[in-house]
Amino acid sequence: MEGRDRRYGRLTIKEEVLEFEVFSGGKVSIDLSKCEECHSKACVQICSLPTMGRVLELKDGKPSLKKDLKEIKKGGCTECLGCELECELKGKKAVQIILPTPELDEYLNELKNKGIKPVYVMAWRK
Amino acid sequence: MARLYEHQGKELLSKMGILVPKGRLAASPKEAKGVAEKLGRSVALKVQVLSGGRGKAGGIRFAMTPQETEKRAEELLETEIRGIPVQKILVEEKLPIKNELYLAITADPSLRRPVIIFCKDGGIDIEEVARTSPNRIVRKQVNILRGLREYEARDFIRKMESISSEDIIPLGSIMKNLYDLYRKYDCKLVEVNPLVVTEEGRFVAADARIDIDDDAIFRHPELGLFSTEETGERPPTKIEIAAGKIDEGDYRGTAHIIQLDPDGSYARETNKISIAFDCVGTGTSLTTLDELVDLGYFPMNFADTSGNPTASKLYRATKIILSQPGIEGYLFVSCVSSQQLDNTARGIIKALKELYPDSGGKPNIPAVFTFRGGWDEEAIKLFEEHGISDSPWVKILGRNAAERDSALEFDALYRKWKEETGGMED
Repeated sequence: MEGRDRRYGRLTIKEEVLEFEVFSGGKVSIDLSKCEECHSKACVQICSLPTMGRVLELKDGKPSLKKDLKEIKKGGCTECLGCELECELKGKKAVQIILPTPELDEYLNELKNKGIKPVYVMAWRK
Repeated sequence: MARLYEHQGKELLSKMGILVPKGRLAASPKEAKGVAEKLGRSVALKVQVLSGGRGKAGGIRFAMTPQETEKRAEELLETEIRGIPVQKILVEEKLPIKNELYLAITADPSLRRPVIIFCKDGGIDIEEVARTSPNRIVRKQVNILRGLREYEARDFIRKMESISSEDIIPLGSIMKNLYDLYRKYDCKLVEVNPLVVTEEGRFVAADARIDIDDDAIFRHPELGLFSTEETGERPPTKIEIAAGKIDEGDYRGTAHIIQLDPDGSYARETNKISIAFDCVGTGTSLTTLDELVDLGYFPMNFADTSGNPTASKLYRATKIILSQPGIEGYLFVSCVSSQQLDNTARGIIKALKELYPDSGGKPNIPAVFTFRGGWDEEAIKLFEEHGISDSPWVKILGRNAAERDSALEFDALYRKWKEETGGMED
């Protein structure tokens, strides 16, 4: 299923990948092929908590969308990042959230061209 | 507040039908000479910086010939005005000045409406006039719903002493056009100082200061401005531009980030240590900052990620803050509030894991995280679960820690880190 709602976001289930866009400009991607072996379903658990977005639900043993794409894209997904981090800890590392920062990337490229390294890629003296 | 350069402001004035001196922007002495040749007369050279008091700082020169223009431009392009290097100069015709006036429109928060400010003494420091001879400044409130009619502007001018009758119509028209500009571009301030009356009797805007309301920047893409925090008299840095994008159109909490010492030069000059910094709440930010400075640190940035921002905001903010070159530590302190700190922690953890993939998110610089407030225990638990707390260079504090404790813990951790690792490579 592709291009379900072009205006408010896009849902893609291709080769068992569930993808949806979020309000701040980014994408949540869940590799459903890994979910069958997952016993924790940690992504759905955390998303279902009262303080979270309640976007995901369990359907046929796999995460599925509880809200429509329009609602999710408008902020229905509260971008808590819980699904990704919980899946990493308790699940099968099936969730990936990409949140672009193009202006920062541009800045880092400039630094690179000037031969300046950000501290996180540097080594210690000793 | 987004301030326009003088040449940008004059472009808007010209679009609104207000006369400005003929001229062009130059980035090199040769270009400046070319402009002077085209104008074929004496010129004024004005550095394009956002700081006030430019004239007093030597940022305005005059030249009689194109050769002299080239020389003056060379001098100006080598200078700094209040620490900001001059990159561009506005070269424009030197006006034959008969008289100078002051005209501005701004919002008066106490009246909650626009106010026109007019003074017959233009070209000088208006704050000084307000202090020494306040009765020389006249004001007119404008009903924002009705707007300013040209006859109302003329009526306002007519009541002033020593304005000749032939000046009433052109001045009224300028006032009306300036007000229309103020509204059209969602300005906080439009100021023409001086509004020159030439020997031929023309009214020409010899300078322009235009400040646009930050919250309205998105309505004016044509101005090419960035939604950044208030950077005062310097243009925003790339870090601030990247940070400004976090809140653009997303009102779920805030991420206010501004660089206090963008190149670390202040820290070097004062023998302080540059660090990255983020707090929840401005009060906590300022208090922690004071404590850090006393201990010999100088945060390269100020940050306040509060109002219950999304974890994705914290993720982006943390990545931006930690991308500042030359930092030797990171301190995060939350105030005691209802902010959902588990989300805050998730944003920070995702950023750390991405920046430090080999160590699973454990930073290579000393980092102290103080979580106090809503969901603080969950936030601390998340750092433990993800293994970041295990790092010898990470210290997690809870609700019993005050701002001073956070700064002291950071200091102790920094000293140990420096001793054991020797600090970062050059």
